[in-house]
Amino acid sequence: MNTTIRRSSIDLYTDEAVLAPYGPYRELRDLGPAVWLEAHEVWAVARYDDVYAALHDHETFASGTGVGLSEDLNKVMAGSTIASDPPYHDHIRSVVGRPLTPRALRKHREDVQRRADELVDRLVALGEFDGVTDFAQAFPLGLVPDLLGWPEEGREHFLAWAAAGFNALGPMNERATAGFADLQGMLGYLNEMSVPGRLCPGSWGAQLVDAAGDGTITREILPTLLGDYLTPSLDTTIATLSSALWLLGTHPEAFDALRADPGLIPNAFNEVIRVESPVRGFSRLLTEDHEIGGVKLPEGSRALLLYASANRDERRWANPEVFDVRRADAAGHVGFGHGVHGCVGQGLARLEGHSLLGALVRKVRRIEVGDAVWRPHNTIHGIAKLPAVFHAA
Amino acid sequence: MKVIVDRVRCEGHGLCEEAAPQMFQLDDEGELMVLQDAEPVPAEQIEAVADAARTCPVGALRVES
Repeated sequence: MNTTIRRSSIDLYTDEAVLAPYGPYRELRDLGPAVWLEAHEVWAVARYDDVYAALHDHETFASGTGVGLSEDLNKVMAGSTIASDPPYHDHIRSVVGRPLTPRALRKHREDVQRRADELVDRLVALGEFDGVTDFAQAFPLGLVPDLLGWPEEGREHFLAWAAAGFNALGPMNERATAGFADLQGMLGYLNEMSVPGRLCPGSWGAQLVDAAGDGTITREILPTLLGDYLTPSLDTTIATLSSALWLLGTHPEAFDALRADPGLIPNAFNEVIRVESPVRGFSRLLTEDHEIGGVKLPEGSRALLLYASANRDERRWANPEVFDVRRADAAGHVGFGHGVHGCVGQGLARLEGHSLLGALVRKVRRIEVGDAVWRPHNTIHGIAKLPAVFHAA
Repeated sequence: MKVIVDRVRCEGHGLCEEAAPQMFQLDDEGELMVLQDAEPVPAEQIEAVADAARTCPVGALRVES
């Protein structure tokens, strides 16, 4: 039996690597199915088949001790939906996820489409705008906090809190520690919002507070689960929407294809997530010794499942770096994770993305974009600044 | 081969419908309907059903031989 241990000194969290991650990912994929990262003391799992298999083996690859890289920060996340294991996980997921299923979201379709149409109309009239703040941030910020029922007070902090929350899932580096004050602020806010009556009656957040009132979930876990609604609902979607704008702006033939056949929009949205995955990856803790392609991972070690690398694995995808809105198997990406922990908000993300792309193909002839400035962030891969113009159809 | 739908995990994302349209369909309420025999899966549907199970984003479809 071949039990070679592959090691690498690659640091995935230097500024250079977070801004241009695809070279290091390819290097890791070529080194082997699991590679020990000396810089972070974690196994990097970078190939599609292995990431997929790990995501579908939650007993061996556990989430209950957190899915970040720093054990101290993992403790803060424990008990949240993402940082839990079945059967507890399945219970809280069903409560947190109830309003987020595509079924439950159907009644919001028209409203979301109307908001998307209004935003695109406004931006067409505006001339030059910033694709991140005015488009990718403006849309979810104008929608999701209302659905969740947050009061006006505090909303101005949401983006900073989300950035800090996701940075805390990386290693304990400067990006993570710089967000500690924000994290404290967010935890205080979530505690305040857990008091019955603070969230808008009937909203998704208020339903969660009610669930704590009737004993469906515990009062102790309520602030954490409200946090599941806050942090992940904005930053990931924003990264994806800005990448979508950038990709469609830099690939006019792809945008023309969507205009000619709007039925391609769901596939195009998957392809955006595949080629510019908004989440770099999350970790799992090995509950027993486990072998991946001849590499033995000991019980108690941590594996970093690199979604963004899996989605560009040349073993899985033909011409993985090419953005192809007609790609037949784009839906197979693991950008939302996959399996029992598959993103609980993906139905909402799709609803937002499909509505905006739908508005674009009807109202815009050409998307013009300038140079994208990418964001240095531990977990989120997205754009910080993107000059853009919508040329009216 | 048989296919098992985990009704608790199924959230109605509908990717199975795209992978195996002759086997899976969401009804007007977004509930998943299985259109043909789940056990055994008809021979000509085996490939599409396996694909649907692989693609289910929340692991709600399982195939067993």
